[in-house]
Amino acid sequence: MKIAVLIKQVPGSDSSLPIQNDASWINEEAITYVMNESDNYALEEALQIREQNGNGEVVVISLGPDRVQKVIREGLAKGADRGIQINVDSVGAVDPLVNASLIADAIKEEKFDIVFSGLQSDDLGMGQTGIILGEMLGMSTASLVMETEISDGRIKVKRELEAGYFQWVTMDLPSSITIQSGLNTPRYPSLKGIMGAKKKEINVLTPEVGQSKQSMEKVYIPQSDKQTVMIDGSADQIVEKLVETFRNDIKVI
Amino acid sequence: MAKFQFTGIEQSILAITIIITLGSFIYEVWRRLRIVLKGRDSLPFDHFGARAWRVFKEVFLHEKVIKDRFWPGLMHALVFWGFIVFGLVTIDHFAIGFGHPLMNEQVHRYYSYIVIPFSIFVLFGIGSLTYRRFISRPKALGKISPTSGLVAFFISVLMITYLLGETDLDPMVWRINWWIHSLIILAFLFLIPRSKHLHLVLSPINIFFKPFQLPEHTAVNIDLEGSEDELDTMLSDLTQMTKNQTLDVFSCVECGRCIDVCPANRGGGLLDPKNHFILDLREPLLKKGNVDVLSEINVEAGWECTTCQACTEVCPVGNHVEKSDEIRRLEVLVEGKVPQEYQKLFMNLQESGNTEGRSDSPLAERLPTYTPDKEYVLWLGCFARYELDPNFTKSVENFANILDVAGITYGVLQKEHCSGDPANRLGDKLTYNMLREHNMELLKEATKVVTLCPHCALNLEKEYSKYSKVNYDVSHHTQVIAELIEEGRIEVKKGSNGKVTYHDPCNLSRMLDEVDAPRVAINAATDDFFELEESGRNTLCCGAGGGLWWKKETKGRTHLVRAEQVVDSSADTVVTGCNFCYGMMNQGLKPLTPEGRSEIQVKDVADIVVENMVSKTHSK
Repeated sequence: MKIAVLIKQVPGSDSSLPIQNDASWINEEAITYVMNESDNYALEEALQIREQNGNGEVVVISLGPDRVQKVIREGLAKGADRGIQINVDSVGAVDPLVNASLIADAIKEEKFDIVFSGLQSDDLGMGQTGIILGEMLGMSTASLVMETEISDGRIKVKRELEAGYFQWVTMDLPSSITIQSGLNTPRYPSLKGIMGAKKKEINVLTPEVGQSKQSMEKVYIPQSDKQTVMIDGSADQIVEKLVETFRNDIKVI
Repeated sequence: MAKFQFTGIEQSILAITIIITLGSFIYEVWRRLRIVLKGRDSLPFDHFGARAWRVFKEVFLHEKVIKDRFWPGLMHALVFWGFIVFGLVTIDHFAIGFGHPLMNEQVHRYYSYIVIPFSIFVLFGIGSLTYRRFISRPKALGKISPTSGLVAFFISVLMITYLLGETDLDPMVWRINWWIHSLIILAFLFLIPRSKHLHLVLSPINIFFKPFQLPEHTAVNIDLEGSEDELDTMLSDLTQMTKNQTLDVFSCVECGRCIDVCPANRGGGLLDPKNHFILDLREPLLKKGNVDVLSEINVEAGWECTTCQACTEVCPVGNHVEKSDEIRRLEVLVEGKVPQEYQKLFMNLQESGNTEGRSDSPLAERLPTYTPDKEYVLWLGCFARYELDPNFTKSVENFANILDVAGITYGVLQKEHCSGDPANRLGDKLTYNMLREHNMELLKEATKVVTLCPHCALNLEKEYSKYSKVNYDVSHHTQVIAELIEEGRIEVKKGSNGKVTYHDPCNLSRMLDEVDAPRVAINAATDDFFELEESGRNTLCCGAGGGLWWKKETKGRTHLVRAEQVVDSSADTVVTGCNFCYGMMNQGLKPLTPEGRSEIQVKDVADIVVENMVSKTHSK
């Protein structure tokens, strides 16, 4: 079983996000970067499948400038066998179509049985790269996956639907699957893993980047303001008005 | 006194029995000591005088045994003192058997005037302890122990046969009585090394070697540039106990005081320090005949520990009980099995150098920056820097105000990273070393460091020293405040804060051994101070230690037990000397306070001092 895991490096959730002067993007110098959360679960799923099978290969793939080698190393330290960095400037990472085609070009010769990725990135949250990639490489695809079972060259996955419903789908391999956070318990790199990762190979590819279909218009921090509404009346009236406000104005219930 | 000569056959039987039991005793003790000697590191002989004095206090005076459990402790002391007095009697007893009494009739009689009262004390003592163990049965003692029953029976029979032997018995009866006494002594000798009663032999030795500094865990030096063999050796070392730890396991008397004081256990958690940190290791040690058994520690229990050292502090036989460090570092460094919330914490520490993954601190920016011409580095710690409890910012500013008023120069380090306390306590020694090296570089020019966080204080000085030489002195802010008050550099008037109490932080009281300075400061600011029942070095952890502040879900109520005690006390104000305790009190007190009970104010020592400080002109 040959498994690819797509890992994106994203700003840490508690990192401050200074915006560049021309408002085209955030100032990457001042940001701490971490592995995208759901990608971490995707990696764990791949490692567990390899461990259950007793053989196979897990390859971590990341798109971005040299800083992304850090998350590739992290994947290698956790147990992935080798890494691929698709070296592109980060602003190009806006368009999932461009990203997916870059990854498709990089891995089409590899003939992976499964491509795992997180269901969406914590920064831009497009949630499309894994699915577009699957289409490009002629793989079956499934999103929001919460459980996987592999047998006889097929993969059965449990998908999360709306309102607490789930769906089981069985698909032929090869398959590109986007993983929902929380489906397993990700491991922490052991010392042996960290030391061993140094010897593992990271293949750096520098492709031509095609024209983005999307571009970043303006990056800004949303304005927030407070509005206070006083509700008078008896307790019952207040409750009634509150419910009405919650339902119709704020739309939280 | 011998009424007749024992026959040659009797003497032969006696000699053979003594040789067999004594031989087996020595063999069993040696078997255990040999395992002890296989342990890592060496047994310490430094501070010889202090160690000897501690043995005198804790063994001969029974200080700890009596202090924490007065009545049972006193009963135990009676039995122990009886044993000492009986030493000579026992030797003489066997000497009589061989026809060469040590004491002549007159000396024997005079000595019996001492021994007879003691034998009655022993009977009384052992009777009370038997009642406690088999009838009142406190939980900490655990399952009924048949050996304890047997030992109580042996001791009682020894005392009774001794007393009978001193009366005017028919020679035949005296002879039978003598044999019963002898056989019981020998049976006791047989039993000692095979049971917890080995503490009779090992506890004085164990108390002698007990570490002075808490907590004592071996430093873990990680060389990421080293060879694979070096790494393997380092990792295999992590499973090995030290000599001192191994000696602890064989010295344990199973009294369960450590369970009684354990905050995780009291909060309804799984952790049982007596079994998880000590007794669970006994069988593996004996079975393997070697010390690579640390992985036997229960992992789940290990993660529950607040590393407060209450168990170690209370142990009457000198054990360093707590071993969460040992099992956690195995889980993190060897197994890579780390609870998710801690993985996030470690990742934050690695990426941003602080526990919260933040990149700016408004508080640090507001305060003056350290330059070498200033007296103190004011070390903030992540709790204050990143406002883990926003109210605590005020406490930091209050302390800065005290320094200003006293004319002391200070500054913060803008590039300060986490001292590493959570990584250190949670077993991620790799991240710990990374943070430590960053901070050591940052503190290269510093001579004096002061901090409000006892966790930082402990790590910056005592824990860092385990790795490399530290050239600065670290004070806790309460120590600086107390000194300023005593020197008259700040003036504090006793104000009205209602009834004031103080919660001793574990890291400050037990680990930094500072219980006086905060009290000096508080007493300067109030005349209505009272102590909580568990205070000083016997304090109870707030529940946040050992990285547990960052633990999201906990089964037990470890984080509420101390706050509940404060609510149940008559306090109007509770003062703390640690940011984590401060945060825990703030979170815990309000929901626990019953209706009608007035809200309890939470203050840092700096707060109560500033509120009652008579302002002087700034001498900046």
